[in-house]
Amino acid sequence: MMKLTIGSEAIFFLCLIVAYLYFWKSGNFQKEVAEHLSIKTTGVFTAILLFSSFSFWRAEKNHARENSKATKLWLIITILLGAIFLSGQGHEYYKLIQENVLISKTEFGSSFYTLTGFHGLHVLIGLIILLVVLTLTMQGYLLNKNSSVLKTVGLYWHFVDVVWIFVFTTIYILPYIL
Amino acid sequence: MLFVWGNLLKVSPDIPLQSVLQSSSQQAEEINRVTNYFFIAAGFILLVVAVLTAYVLYKFRDNKKQIPKPLSSKWEIAMIGIPTLLVAIFLYLNIKTINLVEPDHKNETPDVIITAHQWWWEASYPSSNVITANEIHLPVKKKILLKLLAADVIHDWWIPQFGNKMDMVPNQENFLWINIKKPGEYYGVCSEFCGAQHTHMRLKVVAQSEEDYQNWLLQHQQPAMNAASFGGAQLFISKTCGNCHRINGTAARGTVGPDLTHLGSRQTLLAGLLENNIQNLENWIKDPQQIKPGAYMPDFHLDDSTVKSIAVYLNSLK
Amino acid sequence: MKAILLDNIEHDLPVVHTDKKILYWLSTVDHKAIGKLYMLAALLFFIIGGIEALLMRTQLAVANNHFLPPDAYNQIFTMHGVTMIFFVMMPALLGLTVYLVPLMIGANEMAFPRLNAFSFWMTFFGGLLLYFSFAAGGAPNAGWFNYAPLNQNNYSNSPGINYYAMGLLLGGIGSVTTAINIIVTILKLRVKGMTLKRLPLFVWMALVNGFLIIAAMPSLNAALSMLLLDRLMEAHFFNTDAGGSALLWQHLFWMFGHPEVYILILPAFGIYSEVFQVFSQKKIFGYVFVAASTVAIGLLSFGVWVHHMFAAGLGNTVDSFFAASSMLIGVPTGVKIFNWIGTMYGGKIRLTTSMMFAVAFLIEFTIGGLSGIGFSIVPIDWQLTDSYFVVAHLHYVFVGGSLFSVFAALFYWFPKITGRQLNERSGKWFFWLFVIGFNLTFFLQHFLGLMGMPRRVYTYQDIPYYTLLNLLSSAGAYLMAAAAIVLMYNIYKTMKGEVMENKDPWNAFTLEWYADSPPGEKNFVDIPVVSSRRPFYDLKNPHNRDYD
Repeated sequence: MMKLTIGSEAIFFLCLIVAYLYFWKSGNFQKEVAEHLSIKTTGVFTAILLFSSFSFWRAEKNHARENSKATKLWLIITILLGAIFLSGQGHEYYKLIQENVLISKTEFGSSFYTLTGFHGLHVLIGLIILLVVLTLTMQGYLLNKNSSVLKTVGLYWHFVDVVWIFVFTTIYILPYIL
Repeated sequence: MLFVWGNLLKVSPDIPLQSVLQSSSQQAEEINRVTNYFFIAAGFILLVVAVLTAYVLYKFRDNKKQIPKPLSSKWEIAMIGIPTLLVAIFLYLNIKTINLVEPDHKNETPDVIITAHQWWWEASYPSSNVITANEIHLPVKKKILLKLLAADVIHDWWIPQFGNKMDMVPNQENFLWINIKKPGEYYGVCSEFCGAQHTHMRLKVVAQSEEDYQNWLLQHQQPAMNAASFGGAQLFISKTCGNCHRINGTAARGTVGPDLTHLGSRQTLLAGLLENNIQNLENWIKDPQQIKPGAYMPDFHLDDSTVKSIAVYLNSLK
Repeated sequence: MKAILLDNIEHDLPVVHTDKKILYWLSTVDHKAIGKLYMLAALLFFIIGGIEALLMRTQLAVANNHFLPPDAYNQIFTMHGVTMIFFVMMPALLGLTVYLVPLMIGANEMAFPRLNAFSFWMTFFGGLLLYFSFAAGGAPNAGWFNYAPLNQNNYSNSPGINYYAMGLLLGGIGSVTTAINIIVTILKLRVKGMTLKRLPLFVWMALVNGFLIIAAMPSLNAALSMLLLDRLMEAHFFNTDAGGSALLWQHLFWMFGHPEVYILILPAFGIYSEVFQVFSQKKIFGYVFVAASTVAIGLLSFGVWVHHMFAAGLGNTVDSFFAASSMLIGVPTGVKIFNWIGTMYGGKIRLTTSMMFAVAFLIEFTIGGLSGIGFSIVPIDWQLTDSYFVVAHLHYVFVGGSLFSVFAALFYWFPKITGRQLNERSGKWFFWLFVIGFNLTFFLQHFLGLMGMPRRVYTYQDIPYYTLLNLLSSAGAYLMAAAAIVLMYNIYKTMKGEVMENKDPWNAFTLEWYADSPPGEKNFVDIPVVSSRRPFYDLKNPHNRDYD
């Protein structure tokens, strides 16, 4: 079920990326990215998000070994890392708004906020799901190593990461390659 | 919201029978060739399906004596093979006709630039400096290149007897080749839903011999004559009509609405909605929303004598 | 993911215990009840969409008519299209699917019963939200495919298009979640012995359809999200006055729109496959081909969308490529007609109402399919797109294809769903009234298109033959309305009658007929052994079993 959901969402993000690229030339994105975006700062937050995938994987592994304490710890780390990523994104938005890059101003604004915004929304949804899983784990549920909940949630969380790799490459890295 | 009988004085112009199958241009001729082949093939397939269906229905009606006997699966080969063959043949005709009808325009200069607006057609003839609206004159027996632009939303140029249609898309330049076979009046319609009055965005092309066409161009190059002898001319400016409508040779320079320099020479008003006469002009100016609801021309609440003066003036602009 | 085993069925079904009827219907997660809810919702919107059609045809009955003012007409034709596609055909076909699929594969429930209920209510609320627009300032009025930049604030300033976007987003969520549910159900809950090669064709179609929905809806969702951002936050995706792109909308919309028409026809093909078999008392001719060609259609359907944009000026190379792909997809779609005729060949045909609709479909869909192939020939499309020829084509495939399948399904499965058989005599009246009305209305529209009448116009001038053809076309619409009333009466009368003893009135082949008519809360207490494509047939004919 999760694979099918992810498949559908993947196509959704593909459409958003296509829309972003569609305006590349006419919206002068190369210049806009060079002027307003910092590959270094966002790169750090990217690393943080990628690390959260690693931490979730640790949670899954510990869950398979029925080590509930370690599972909870790694879950907490994952949530914290995800939250830091979102706050980084929020800070970036704040900065951009100060520089007058708005969704209503330019093609770049429209496409950038939409693409990163929908991704951020999916991260937020993921965080909520992770919080629910953490709470249930703390209350003693989901500890049976045959439960497929963690694996399913893991698929979603890793998906969110993979999407970010594509989004990051498209927005931040592409201008330097082309 | 629902009113049953309007009280409009709508004297609609007569329009003769239109048909895609009456080809009046070379493009239409090519298209009709492949269309006819297609209808024959399609008719044949439909006949086969109908006959087979009728046959099985008749032969295998529920009666106790029948023992169901299966069909050989070799029939599958024929069933797939024949349609595939037909597809291959028509694909060839398809691509061939595309390139015959719409060859690449390379970077040739267009003869006429048509800009579609909500809900009227602007035509400009760059090499002659002529700008007009709605009634478009073209020469016959000549390969003409139209450039199609959109001023607001997507519109579409379609004259059934000339063959193919082409969209006008904002921020895009589209091109259309036409080679008209003989002189006459040809009618068309906007063919992409473009808002409230899409229905009344009709096209009229007057195809003329080269001589007549040149005369028409010459006449249209002239500015509006004798503006001074009409009281309506002053009113046209003072009532701000000139802010939207251009009348060449006067202070009226607006380009929001149709060019009216030679309005009197056109046979219809409002993109083919009404016959061009003083009464219809008056009705329109007096209450645009009654005649073409949704049109962008506002009601200026002019008094009757003003309206009449302006209408008489406009009617004189031949 | 592990399969959900319902071996110990007594307490595993999520059953609602209440005697308040409304509470039951609002909270049920029983796939059979949800299937019925979908079909009732489809019926409601069908009546509304039909009234919209009648209003349009009344306005168009004579030249220069003033029955409806232009803005009202534009809202009505938009709503008619949106309603019929998203809130009639989708719910009707998906409703039949969620009702029948578990029964056909020997399962007692869908994989995710609560998700099933959620999907229905999302779809229903989407429809309500769409219709709320009438009360909120005006319904959407830019056509069901809502081209840019007409769909932008500066050209359509009523809130209608916002409701269009939101209503369809909700409906889209409903469709995707249903599709996921269906796929998991089919892959994981089949009874032992039912391999994928033994699936009833209706289930095969449902499976492929599920994938189509999951892959196609995101494109629409992306377009609608961008549209809402344009309209509510002044983004610039489709606002051509500010650098946006009109064509981007078209690409995104038709990337969804073309697979969508296959989404509407595949379940129909499934229904016809079942109906032809049972009413010819013979198995399908060419099972493997029908199943395989469906997969081919599913894949190819993502490579043809530009054929809706041949007149947009994309260039001869692009046009030629999509012409080829569009012509190609016609082959697997059309050849199935011969498979169904081949099924009837050598059989014992019973012309019940259900079968009559199936047979009529053969002709109607051939006409619709052929006019469609006509459009894949680009120069023909250049002449006839956006004219009444297209209106004729789309109604032949949507009505003659999809809607007829719903009628065939109704008459075929009514005994299974309610335990009562619809009256056959009334059914035949319904059939003839509807089919004559339908062909009268839409066949003539081919000619109107050839005579230059564009689509989406609220009136026309007095051009020779226009009034005659339009008037006859409108008369056909009223015939269809009369037919619909006959059908409603038939359903009403039948429901007042007794539940019948015979749970298998048609002598059918597939597992759903083994359950009671109507099935109990638990579909199956016991179940026949599945060792072929027609397990129920095998049970009844042990000396003449299939060996597929």
